[in-house]
Amino acid sequence: MTDRPDPFSETPDERAFLERITPSLKTPETHKSGFEERVMAAVRAETPLRYPGARAPWWRRPRTVRLSPLAGLAAAAGFAGLVALGTLATADRFGAGEKLPVATTVDTVHLIRFAISAPDAHRVALVGDFNAWSKSGTELTASEVAGVWTITLPLPPGRHQYAFLIDGERWVIDPTATVVHDDFGTETSVVTVTGPGAS
Amino acid sequence: MEAQSDAALVAQVIAGDGEAFALLLRRYRDAHLRFATRMLGNRDDADEALQSAFLRAFRSLAKCTEPERFGAWLYRIVVNECRTLATRRAHRERSLVRDAATLETLAERDDPVGSDAVREEIQYALDDLTPEYREAFVLKHVEELSYEEMEEITGVGISALKMRVKRACQRLQALLEEAYHD
Repeated sequence: MTDRPDPFSETPDERAFLERITPSLKTPETHKSGFEERVMAAVRAETPLRYPGARAPWWRRPRTVRLSPLAGLAAAAGFAGLVALGTLATADRFGAGEKLPVATTVDTVHLIRFAISAPDAHRVALVGDFNAWSKSGTELTASEVAGVWTITLPLPPGRHQYAFLIDGERWVIDPTATVVHDDFGTETSVVTVTGPGAS
Repeated sequence: MEAQSDAALVAQVIAGDGEAFALLLRRYRDAHLRFATRMLGNRDDADEALQSAFLRAFRSLAKCTEPERFGAWLYRIVVNECRTLATRRAHRERSLVRDAATLETLAERDDPVGSDAVREEIQYALDDLTPEYREAFVLKHVEELSYEEMEEITGVGISALKMRVKRACQRLQALLEEAYHD
């Protein structure tokens, strides 16, 4: 059996043509002046927020907030989602287990509860743009309801992308939230925190 | 002094050393500028696309799962930025005259091979290709990537890439035939 010729291989004529035109196209280009300065100015402005390094992230620093227990969480076994928490009055207004694609605010603190049902998980982490997609920084804790893992975080106003990481390797989106695809084709969930300071 | 690896620099940035990103930027900016300029047809748009690509890379650096292969990861972002800008520009305007008549006029100027005019003339022809054909052609014959590398960067299968390169080559040849006809 003989190999069939590759229908996409170059003909001698095409090869000669390419040899004529490609040297010109391969000429190096130079950036406009100030290119690096412009990029690095933006990088410097964002570095402390995105990559806080050894400094404790602002959302992990101690903070005193009055919270209402999330009554009725037991009834929510099997759900995954996020719930906005605030003061007692706020929690009462929304009721427990209600799906809230848009979180709300109380005073200047926006507390968001993330929850997921993962009965077989040994550990569950929350990864998102608010913690630089760190796989280990934001672990959920097992709630009183078997198989349900939760965490409550203060988040700044704005749109945040996140996902759950189960046992360090399984990427799970939040089925109750809006889903988007990032630049790399990965599905992530979105929570929008509104209130004072939101853009 | 031995240069730090891409992976080491990526780790430094994620640990909070934003200045390490400048080293990554210097390492890749020139190679990607040529690609972006050929794709977008002018340096202003290429600069804009690259600036946006580098910032996007910085913001997403923690999602670079293989930091030792930062270059390929960044290339994907650059390709995507060029696609986005090319689409936006196509909607905005088509400021360049890209037709065979223009190419023939340029050819009649009898400029020496390698001159700016000749490069401009070839760029006109390149701009006449569809973005998909242009991207495949530039990656293959200007950046000299293998088809495997192109597949990883573009997300397009090798057979489709080979077909695009072939068609792009034929189209360019037809457009520039007069320019190189004695």
